[in-house]
Amino acid sequence: MTVFKAYLKVLNKNKWMVILYTVILIFFAGFNMKTSDTRGFVTEKPDILIVNEDENIGITKHFINYIKENSNIKEIKEDENARNDALFYRDVNYIIYIPKNFRIDFLEGKNPEIKVKSTGDYMAFLSEMLVERYFKIANIYKSIETNEEKLEMLIENTLQKETEVEMTSKLDTDTLTKAAYFYNFANYSILAGSVFVICFIISSFKEEKVRKRTIVSSHNYRKYNRELLLSNSLFAFTLWLFYVLLSFILVGKAMLTSHGIVMILNSFVFSFTSLTLAFFIGNLISNKEAISGIVNVIALGSSFLCGAFVPMEFLPDFVITISHILPSYYYISNNEMVKTLEIISLESLQPFFINIGMMLLFSLLFIVLTNIVTKRKSS
Amino acid sequence: MKNIIEVKKLTKMYKNLKAVDNLSFEVKEGEILGLLGPNGSGKSTTMNCMLSLLEFKEGTITIFGKEMKPNAYDIKKEIGVVFQDVALFEELTVYDNMDYFCGLYIKDKRTRKQYIEDAIKLVGLEDFKKFYPKQLSGGLLRRLNIACGIAHKPKIVFLDEPTVAVDPQSRNNILDGIEKLRENGATIIYTTHYMEEVEILCDRVIILDKGIIIAEGTPDELKELANMEEKVSVYIEKLEEKHIEEIKKLKNVSEVTYHNSNLIVIYNKGKNNLISLTKYLEKERISYDKIYSERPTLNDVFLELTGKELRD
Ligand SMILES: Nc1ncnc2c1ncn2[C@@H]1O[C@H](COP(=O)(O)OP(=O)(O)OP(=O)(O)O)[C@@H](O)[C@H]1O
Ligand SMILES: [Mg+2]
Repeated sequence: MTVFKAYLKVLNKNKWMVILYTVILIFFAGFNMKTSDTRGFVTEKPDILIVNEDENIGITKHFINYIKENSNIKEIKEDENARNDALFYRDVNYIIYIPKNFRIDFLEGKNPEIKVKSTGDYMAFLSEMLVERYFKIANIYKSIETNEEKLEMLIENTLQKETEVEMTSKLDTDTLTKAAYFYNFANYSILAGSVFVICFIISSFKEEKVRKRTIVSSHNYRKYNRELLLSNSLFAFTLWLFYVLLSFILVGKAMLTSHGIVMILNSFVFSFTSLTLAFFIGNLISNKEAISGIVNVIALGSSFLCGAFVPMEFLPDFVITISHILPSYYYISNNEMVKTLEIISLESLQPFFINIGMMLLFSLLFIVLTNIVTKRKSS
Repeated sequence: MKNIIEVKKLTKMYKNLKAVDNLSFEVKEGEILGLLGPNGSGKSTTMNCMLSLLEFKEGTITIFGKEMKPNAYDIKKEIGVVFQDVALFEELTVYDNMDYFCGLYIKDKRTRKQYIEDAIKLVGLEDFKKFYPKQLSGGLLRRLNIACGIAHKPKIVFLDEPTVAVDPQSRNNILDGIEKLRENGATIIYTTHYMEEVEILCDRVIILDKGIIIAEGTPDELKELANMEEKVSVYIEKLEEKHIEEIKKLKNVSEVTYHNSNLIVIYNKGKNNLISLTKYLEKERISYDKIYSERPTLNDVFLELTGKELRD
């Protein structure tokens, strides 16, 4: 309790910084939310390459047309290496290989296999959904209709009806865009708030002479470290909770939908990563005057580079390449992705979880670095 | 008196530098032990080893008959430390700083409150409880630093140069406080390079140089050890040659000069030299004025033992 009590008192001395970061968040995020909707909602289409070895007639042609309607068809030269390169550089998200005799085999009920190659990201997932949806419907009607033209008609009608249903249940992209704005901007406030406060507190408690005094006292030093760690974690958690509450106020009930909850989860993991980063920096520097400078570099820098203020699509390519080395990139990418995600499912969230994994890897890295730094210092 | 701390054959190396070399000494219960030495002589290093703040290669340190270790919390509970440098939270008030550091030892709230009040009174910071460290003068800061180290009423107190760069008023206050701690039964290890403090404060002195004990004893013993002379000067209007010859024959006298009505008598050792001289002058009805004696100080002792000044 002694440590926690002193912790709260030192924290109290820093409350104005936290309030400042929060006001900035409310001001800018709130401002952006109002002006957010000039872009309207654009459904993004995946880039797909179709390699057709079958004749372009009948059901094969129908399938290709359906894909064409729902994606951007890419033309790549007839060379497997070129196709792989295109996938690697994300020029296409998905390649569909239609084998020879596909049409005949399909109509005869042989279930011919369609091979695909995928980038594994969300756009690839959308492509896969397209293909799956088509054949799910086609297989159902094939068993009751043998005439190829009528079969095509049936498939056509069903696909259209399904799209209509989907349109009516279309998610509220407007609110989700707002939520994404808020959480993107929170990148700055969470980072700045936790790094500033935790660095400040660590440099007070771990200041060489104060530390010596603590070590010679009869208070168990391990316990002392644990209490400090716990207090800092509690602070980071409270800060996160506070920003989540703020998002409920600013964005509204949409935060309770599955999309909103996924964003909240994302911000939780990011808060954890920020906490570990704050530990690392706090143990690295011993100069209080340096803290605000470092916070600016880290919080402002990563917010700019990773598109918290300016959407990523407006950033030059080299900036985006650099931003991959920052945890903020994965956090903000996730917000952007969730915003456009039509369906929330374990499968559609795969790229989301990969980004979460990246953030956790960063945390691990920071924890290891913190240990190295503290070992160095104590010896 | 029994030994409360025993240091045996302590050797501490910093890489290739032997900061403390095969040091053995003990601290007796209730005494004020002075650790004296010039800059870099190993005073702080010795203290930090005794506190288990530093690992050392050789030697043993026992406190209350038990081995001192980093996790000897029952021993640490009875120890108070005031480091050479001020160690405080800038963000906490005088009272809150004390509450924190005392709270590391004393968990009970009411006892702690009482102890803090006592310590604040001891160092005379009653009027500054709500001040922040940066609002305090250097002297007051030192006093707070001391109060934080001793608020939990420890049986043993380590003080590392607590009066460096302190105004005379604060200094007297600090020295008084240390006296009071002793009166309350604490054993004190006091590190300094101020001679005068050692002479008025310490029961026993250990003089360190380059990590080695070069002398040990009470201040008086040390002065005797050094075989120092005492110089007495007297103003005498007129003195006859025969008196000078007689004074030369007094006990312990080694040299007598008389010049410009100034008599200077140098004694090689012994006590009560001044009294024997005044008795002689009174017996011979010689009127005198302005008599004073220059007794050797520990500084002279140190100079004699090492050939260098204690203070730079
Ligand atoms: N951390 C360290 N690393 C290397 N050498 C050190 C270290 N601390 C002290 N020393 C050296 O050990 C010797 C003893 O230093 P120490 O601080 O114990 O002296 P001191 O008597 O307390 O001096 P002062 O009066 O200046 O406080 C010095 O030569 C010093 O340079
Ligand atoms: Mg020292």
